[in-house]
Amino acid sequence: MGSWFTLVTHWNLPMSDHSSIEHILAHLAHLLPAQGPIGVFVHHNTLHAFQHLPFEQAVCQAAKLYGAEPYMRQEAFRRAMDSGRIRAEDIDAVLAAEPQSDLLPGVLTRRDLRRAMLRPGARDFRPETIAWEIGEAGLTSAFRTDLPPKSRAALAKESPRALFDLCLRHTPVPEPAEAKAARPRDGVLAATGIDTDDAVHPLLIRLAGAFLDQGLAYWPMPERENGFWKASLDVLGQPFSLEPHELDRLPEVLAAVRGLDASAAIPAMLETLGVPEAEWEHVLEAELLALPGWAGMMHRLEVEPELAPHEDVPASLMDFVAVRLLLTGGAVATQMGDTVSWRAIPIRSHAPEAIRLARAARYFDAAQLCGLSASTLSASKPAQLRVLFDAIDEFDDWERRRLLHLAYERRHERQILLPILEHARREPLPVPKRLAAQVFFCIDEREESTRRHLEEIDPEIETYGAAGFFGVAMNYHGLDDAHAVALCPVVVKPQHEIKERPMEGHHAHYERRRALRKYWSNLTHHWWVASRTLVRGWIGTTVLGLFTIFPLAARVLSPRRYARFIAWLNSSVLPEPRTELAFMRTDAAGHAAAEGLLLGFSIPEKVDRVASVLGPAGLRKGMARLVVVLGHGSTSLNNPHESAHDCGACGGRRGGPNGRIFAAMANHPEVRKGLRARDIVIPDDTWFVGGYHDTCNDDIDLYDLDEVPATHRPDLARVRASLDKARARDGHERARRFEAADYGLSDEGGLHHVQERSEHLAEPRPEYGHCTNAVCIVGRRSSTRGLFLDRRSFLVSYDAAQDPTNDALARVLGAVIPVCGGISLEYYFSFVDNEGYGCGTKLPHNVTGLIGVMNGAESDLRTGLPWQMVEIHEPVRILFVLETTPDRALSTIHANPQLWEFLNNRWIRLAVSDPQTGAMHAYRGGEPGNARWEAIEGGDEPLFDAPTSRDWYAGRREHLPIARIGAAPAMAKQ
Amino acid sequence: MDNLQLLLILIVALPGAAFLGLALVWLLGWTPPERVVARITATTSIVTTAAAAALAAAMVSRGTLSVRAPLGHWFTAGEYDFVLSLLVDRLSLPMVVLTTALIGIVGAFSVRYLHRERGYFRFFLLLHLFTFGSLLAFTAGSFDLLIGGWELVGITSVLLIAFFDDRREPVRNALRVFATYRIADLGLLIGVFAMHYLAETAAYQGLFTGEWPSQGTEASTSAATIIGLLLLVAAAGKSAQMPFSGWLPRAMEGPTPSSAIFYGAISVHAGAYILLRAEPLFRASPAAAAAVVATGAATAILATLTHRVVSDAKTSLAYASMTQLGIIFVEIGLGFPMLALAHMSGHTVVRTLQFLRAPSMLHDYHRMHAAAGGHLGRTGEHYHGIIPPGVRLWLYRAGLERGFYDALVDRFATAPVLHLSRWLASLESSSHDSAAHPAPAAAPVTALARKVEG
Repeated sequence: MGSWFTLVTHWNLPMSDHSSIEHILAHLAHLLPAQGPIGVFVHHNTLHAFQHLPFEQAVCQAAKLYGAEPYMRQEAFRRAMDSGRIRAEDIDAVLAAEPQSDLLPGVLTRRDLRRAMLRPGARDFRPETIAWEIGEAGLTSAFRTDLPPKSRAALAKESPRALFDLCLRHTPVPEPAEAKAARPRDGVLAATGIDTDDAVHPLLIRLAGAFLDQGLAYWPMPERENGFWKASLDVLGQPFSLEPHELDRLPEVLAAVRGLDASAAIPAMLETLGVPEAEWEHVLEAELLALPGWAGMMHRLEVEPELAPHEDVPASLMDFVAVRLLLTGGAVATQMGDTVSWRAIPIRSHAPEAIRLARAARYFDAAQLCGLSASTLSASKPAQLRVLFDAIDEFDDWERRRLLHLAYERRHERQILLPILEHARREPLPVPKRLAAQVFFCIDEREESTRRHLEEIDPEIETYGAAGFFGVAMNYHGLDDAHAVALCPVVVKPQHEIKERPMEGHHAHYERRRALRKYWSNLTHHWWVASRTLVRGWIGTTVLGLFTIFPLAARVLSPRRYARFIAWLNSSVLPEPRTELAFMRTDAAGHAAAEGLLLGFSIPEKVDRVASVLGPAGLRKGMARLVVVLGHGSTSLNNPHESAHDCGACGGRRGGPNGRIFAAMANHPEVRKGLRARDIVIPDDTWFVGGYHDTCNDDIDLYDLDEVPATHRPDLARVRASLDKARARDGHERARRFEAADYGLSDEGGLHHVQERSEHLAEPRPEYGHCTNAVCIVGRRSSTRGLFLDRRSFLVSYDAAQDPTNDALARVLGAVIPVCGGISLEYYFSFVDNEGYGCGTKLPHNVTGLIGVMNGAESDLRTGLPWQMVEIHEPVRILFVLETTPDRALSTIHANPQLWEFLNNRWIRLAVSDPQTGAMHAYRGGEPGNARWEAIEGGDEPLFDAPTSRDWYAGRREHLPIARIGAAPAMAKQ
Repeated sequence: MDNLQLLLILIVALPGAAFLGLALVWLLGWTPPERVVARITATTSIVTTAAAAALAAAMVSRGTLSVRAPLGHWFTAGEYDFVLSLLVDRLSLPMVVLTTALIGIVGAFSVRYLHRERGYFRFFLLLHLFTFGSLLAFTAGSFDLLIGGWELVGITSVLLIAFFDDRREPVRNALRVFATYRIADLGLLIGVFAMHYLAETAAYQGLFTGEWPSQGTEASTSAATIIGLLLLVAAAGKSAQMPFSGWLPRAMEGPTPSSAIFYGAISVHAGAYILLRAEPLFRASPAAAAAVVATGAATAILATLTHRVVSDAKTSLAYASMTQLGIIFVEIGLGFPMLALAHMSGHTVVRTLQFLRAPSMLHDYHRMHAAAGGHLGRTGEHYHGIIPPGVRLWLYRAGLERGFYDALVDRFATAPVLHLSRWLASLESSSHDSAAHPAPAAAPVTALARKVEG
């Protein structure tokens, strides 16, 4: 025992050790998932840490680091080729952009080889299974049966065995490879067959879970205000406890570091484990990535403690690492008898022979695909053959998938750009003289269908898209909320606080409501505790238990009726006071409220906010009599990922209040006066109404309707009727994606279907959320109006004609590229590797500490998106289509380093559509001045026509091409 | 046979038939699509639940205390006649009604929850088998027949824990649960042998006199003690009582509805059921009754301690269940069978709903928190005054380690067995010359390469 023990008795570490650990951890923290507590889900690029690299390089580096997939799997691409989603011309186009050379002069070029290896496609052979492939599956006794005809003919009389032998002869024997253990666990595993993670993780997960817990546990972790390291030492160092069997010697290791700070304990533990300083970073990286979810959450809450929903916890990655190393030390000492010998244990990879056979099999496979027989090949010099075989080696699985991915995206690009181009060339749709109403929605791609249906129902309504916080960044404190929350994009820190308060004369109502809610809360909290503890649980379950059969049966068997019953109960018991928003501030600077926030907005501030939405949308004059501004969010039950369906522009929250306050501002006479000075003229007979659209149950609520002037009641009635029809049709269109919904549903039936999803306890897919998102179109509605975009396009209103300086474009792109790009990339990664980057299937998920989900009782904190949210996604990088000129687009993006990184490293795709001619150009790289743009032309993706949206999607579940919905006949009918 | 007897047989047989039918078509190579499975499940649930309700109504209105349905003789050997029969009395009736109703609800839940899941068909196949098994266990007229149902409940439970068989942890935890069940079930098996040996029958009619809950027994005190203790072992295993309690949190790997129906509702209460069934034995043997009380009390204390510390939804519910099950054992041991039955019934329903709503815990808590105006009453504070800080910290550690349960079992049960088996294995292998064999992985490949190149 003593040998390692003496090592750890005295440290007088120089300060540099501490700071270098800090430095290492600061660096490694970037590799951890950035997701915060799950109650507020903010979409972001899963590989944010790699964004400084070009996409294709980054996905491979990350895949290596995390053991994940860079692209879809080969089978998925093969299915895409079979279904025509990738066409031969796409593969040719992608190959044409790759370097070309002769491999066997006169016989085979690199491009031919690659084409054959993509389609029908090379198989991959692994050292683990090669013995079976050859010995049992008969790999060398026959050629493939799916060879292209030409190759089949060339090989007709040849021997497969001879070809394989030739390939094997030219495959060198690899050196036996022995790697060093990346972390103690690997060494111990190789030496003893025992995985120390099985001992370390359960305890570490329990400790971390208890420390970060936001109120689920009945007893909070003792002393947790002293930090994770101190609190864990206190708990672990209890006398008279029994260590888990595999951590028998933990007390000895613990005794040695007991008095140290985490920053001193880490170097001490690393030294105990025999890791030289040069390898610290390497070992710490491997240790952190063994349980990245919990480590990431510690880091996130350390950097942004305000993300913790209920309890402040002094989280620290340093503490977490210290505890992890402590437990690791205990486990290693228990298994090995000491803490350093794991380093000497080599990690063996596969037998060199197996590696060689697998490699030869790959040559054999590729040669067949190209129709190269043993006799053809033996005519070439060995050096020439080496060139061929090197080219085969080079075109490995990932490289093949990279090209297939590019081909997959190329087809998508044409499916989008060509029909839009065609639409622009056709006769424009007739425009009514003055619109009946204008309706602002969030840019969210899920609103595309509602907008389309609304315009289909009433062609005199025009819709607009603006980021769903509508320029109003605020801390909002609703009447029923416990405290204020920020309703704005996460990158913005709100400077203003807005409170919802009861109107004059409604205070008594409000007080009653508050008292009743508090009473209800106490009751539920008591039941919550009482049903789980010893004595209260005894009485509770015996006496009241059987009565829960009623809610249980009702909620599962008839969720919609149950929800309606509860809503009725609420409305008949809880008084609804009329409320207003305290958003006026008379003097510009004063009245600083609590937390240093300004209470309400002053007039000039309001003018700024209204102008920031109306200006870029090109809505400078001639508004309709009614303008509706709809925020959005999503309600679902039994869904820990609920917030991921809320408004991204409101920081993963619900944007109703933003719509409401925007309308109130725009109705204010002083604000209108201020706007006039900025060239935005709101006619006197225009009235703004705020509202909220629930994208899950398709409810639309409008606010403050009693303030609408009597003169505008008929307009309001008309718009409400249209909105009502539109939301039903939207529900119907959404239902087409769900297998559980029959094709024959009526509009009403579709709406009921989605409403039930929102209220059903058993529903893992309350809505598909941003799934299938693929495009973001920034331009006038007139260029997309009437197009069926299949709920896959973010739509941002922008009029280049009214933005000569590109200022509005810069502002719009500054918000939408990071937000939409983040959403698209999160879906991309969660789809291509749902276990690695996403959080797997929802079914075994288990809410822990109110901050996240685990699989079962003890697993890593699962980050990313669950399979049920991404299952019908198409993993493409988002395609931005800007309605402006190439130069204006590129110079605007180039001027903003963050956006330029997105574009230059190709994390997004870009195309521009000329506002005058509609001409379409796709960006192919390069800086402003020498950028490469490809003119998009061709007839391979027609623009389909359909009389109504419903005719176009009826009876189909799959992704649909763009269609032009016949607005003209619909107009005639009206 | 009268109508009630037919009704009873129908209730048990229908889920069995559903399982057999589905299994058969599947073995013949056809995996029925979701809609077919859903329809079969719904029909089976509706019919069995209605039949159970009808049976209950008829029994209550006619004042029938029990219904027996003879299924025939398994075998007769000389004097010995092995009779199989179903029985529903005032103990099994509530169990049957609850089982059919709750499985119906959970089945409806699962039709949606498992939609598009790879193992959809497998899940429902196992659910039907489980329904059949639990109904058979609750209506068996003898402990012999009960074993059949009991084992079906056990094996379906294990297979559903391992439902996500593409990950390591579910399979490993399922295996651990399986091992625990095997050991505990020995109690039932030996108990039944003991019944045959000591009382010459394992049928309730022979073992007990009268109608539940006012049954008596003619067994001697020593016989009652032996059989009672053996049944306690089996019951403790199924109901996650000491010393087997550690499997319950591991069982949370399966899909949420199976956690609800097995570990919130039916399966964990089966242990309490056999104790209630053998209740006269415990009245005849104070020692066995004391053991039941001690087991339940120790479990309840351990579980409530652990529950207080646990910070994830499903484990928290698992220990909350275990706590109440411990109390139910105490009630049975102290001789309050009706109270225990009422407690079981209420607990079953509460826990099913709570497990089904476990993914909602975030949502529920936030709502509660907001309605309280941001200040929920702190939990666990009234203990602060009573328990000194040092002890509190120790209790916390004990809770965090689940009462040191795993440590004890690994050290004093698993490790010795492993050592023994390794030692036996080494005896065996030392008789061969192991050095003559090269590393197993490389061998075939090298030979193959030689063959291919040769």
